[in-house]
Amino acid sequence: MSLTELFPNVKLLARADKLRLIQFLVVELAQEEGISLLTAGAEYPIWTPLNAFGAAETLMKMLENHKATTA
Amino acid sequence: MKTIRLSYNRIEAGQTIASELAYLPITLSTANGSVELQGLLDSGSTVNVLPYTVGLALGFSWEQQTIPIALTGSLSKVPAYGVIVTGQIASFLPVELAFAWTQAANVPLILGQVNFFMEFDVCFFRSQSAFEVKPKPSRK
Repeated sequence: MSLTELFPNVKLLARADKLRLIQFLVVELAQEEGISLLTAGAEYPIWTPLNAFGAAETLMKMLENHKATTA
Repeated sequence: MKTIRLSYNRIEAGQTIASELAYLPITLSTANGSVELQGLLDSGSTVNVLPYTVGLALGFSWEQQTIPIALTGSLSKVPAYGVIVTGQIASFLPVELAFAWTQAANVPLILGQVNFFMEFDVCFFRSQSAFEVKPKPSRK
């Protein structure tokens, strides 16, 4: 597939998928160049919501309300 | 009480045993959709986290959500709402799971303390690359 054919399809992608595509290309190019993607001082996402107690309390209340309405 | 034993596996590309994590096959469903996927057993996570695209597949509308959830860490930068989903694991009875539905799409499905670990007992046998899951004692 040529770039000319690819671009219209890329335009149709959702925003999140476009970002994933960028990420994929960055990783792909870095691997081809033998570049380590971990850089000193850079910020890397940690998805684990540690100590999100406010969120936990809200979700627990949601569950209580859900159980009360479906009981 | 039934217990299932599963192996650690590699969802992301990785070459070493260190990249293996405890991913649990789970079916999530609502009245409007059902999705089979692998959830990361994350005992460090205070809550369950639902990726954006999975929420859409379950029939949730982002615009109709009313209960904002404030997450921590990298997810604190992304909006999230609370949703309730039915979760089914193996042949266990389905259970209601509350999730923080994040607008982030590249996050894994995270099964955390509220309320996955409150509904299921989990034993990790990391030296054997295995883990066991069973419903909490009050359920069968």
